[in-house]
Amino acid sequence: MNFQRMRLFLFGVVICWLTACDNQDDGSYVAPITLYEKVHGEWSLMKLTMIDEFARANGITPDEQNLSTLFNYPDFRISFNVDEAMNPTRYQVMGDVPPLFEPEGFWMLSSDFQPTNSAAVRILLYQNADHSVQTGELRLTSVPGSNGEMEIQLVRITEGVPFVSYVFNLNASNP
Amino acid sequence: MRTIKNYVYTLIGFFMLCPLLTEAQEEAGDVGKIWSYPVVYAYDEEVTWYFDLSGTTFAENQDIYIWIWSPSEPDAGNWENSSDFAKLNYEGDMIWSFTLIPTEYFSVTPEDIAASAGFWFRLKNKTGSIQSGVAQVPYTVFSSFFTSDEMIRAYPEKPALDEGLSIMFNSNLVSGFEGVPSVHMHAGLNDWEVLQEYQAWLPEITEKTMLKDMGDGFYKMDLIPSEYFNTEEGYIMTNMRFLFVGKDWVVTSPDQVLFAAEYIPPPPPEFRFFPLRISQQDFLGMIRINNERGVTTLSYTITAGSKVITGEFNGGISEIKGFVDLVSELKGISGLDEIHVLVKDNNDRVISDTTIPLAK
Repeated sequence: MNFQRMRLFLFGVVICWLTACDNQDDGSYVAPITLYEKVHGEWSLMKLTMIDEFARANGITPDEQNLSTLFNYPDFRISFNVDEAMNPTRYQVMGDVPPLFEPEGFWMLSSDFQPTNSAAVRILLYQNADHSVQTGELRLTSVPGSNGEMEIQLVRITEGVPFVSYVFNLNASNP
Repeated sequence: MRTIKNYVYTLIGFFMLCPLLTEAQEEAGDVGKIWSYPVVYAYDEEVTWYFDLSGTTFAENQDIYIWIWSPSEPDAGNWENSSDFAKLNYEGDMIWSFTLIPTEYFSVTPEDIAASAGFWFRLKNKTGSIQSGVAQVPYTVFSSFFTSDEMIRAYPEKPALDEGLSIMFNSNLVSGFEGVPSVHMHAGLNDWEVLQEYQAWLPEITEKTMLKDMGDGFYKMDLIPSEYFNTEEGYIMTNMRFLFVGKDWVVTSPDQVLFAAEYIPPPPPEFRFFPLRISQQDFLGMIRINNERGVTTLSYTITAGSKVITGEFNGGISEIKGFVDLVSELKGISGLDEIHVLVKDNNDRVISDTTIPLAK
């Protein structure tokens, strides 16, 4: 590339930049990025851990067991679907695995955004599209980042105290 | 030149096939502990080798053969049909034994064996479709005793009640033993509490207490204390006192003592359910660690209302573990407050007979 062409090119870049500046964004609304953009899609299981919350709370070991290879869990996949406006629609578990929670239905998050405190966002599971009958909830214990990994936890509670939980370590099926 | 090339290609082809050939084998796993009785032995002495196969997939009481190629290969050419002379004897408790006089079995001299790489072998079934990993029978060289000027040396230094013990004796270091017809042991456990005296007037005791003559004034006594002293079940040996005696008590060695190895009992077995609290929508784990030898399977019968779930888990000494899918099995059954779980081992012994309440 000779200098003439280089100068012409730089000139073009500067013009473009100036014209871009000229075209001001004067307030047309762009929705902020919600958690739905991170959570939606299809996820595969990397690891399933069963935690004895009662043992853990009382300092008894062993307090966890790896179930990843049992009961067809290597085939476990789950999809959280959204519509074009990024609103949650259906979810579905694929793979012939024991139904630890309802394998299909409708879902929504307890919060559209990551809360500033440490409380985990819940994935609320419903039988119907109008979200009138809740069938369960999952804790979103690790929000997907650039690594395409997510962790959700199913907690069993009796009399207000967790006694067992299942931690699903997932990675995006179609990254 | 051409033929050499062909030869090399054939060889390469053969070695490329080798992995395929070995993959056709079923690998039974590695041989566990290997020991001998006597503990120390000359290469021209009869010895029994013992092999612990509890960590392998060989079946209890299965016909097992030794395939040994060092110091020589007595059963060469018969991999697919082992000879009867290579057959092991089943001792029970997943232990097999093989008795031989090494110089005779391998048709070599003691010097040949001493100069060899040692006793290298695999264990196998008759047809060679199942094989153990490669292993070596350990051999304790004790020749240093003959030049050591030690009167007594024991293998091991601290004996255990149920394990072999070899005691070497150099009678040249005690005056009066020259030319005695035989040497005998007069002994007692725990400061002469349990005795095996040298009763010179009883022929069978004379025979039992007699040391093996190794030549040149050297003798060896081989014994397993629990058998030799006929101790009661559960006896704990702390020491063994003894002296060596010339035939008919014409001469005696000074009194000797060996202190017993500390008896370390195996850790007790432990069974537990996982998790400690459970609902009918959970997996029920059963875990048993430190299993007794021969305990390899847990079978369970779970009764939940009118529903009965059965199955079994396999494992070994370190752990038997498995999970039952109550999630699927009990789905849709209402009104369940508890389940009853009966767990037995493969010896039909009850491991757990428990009612587990179900969390709501």
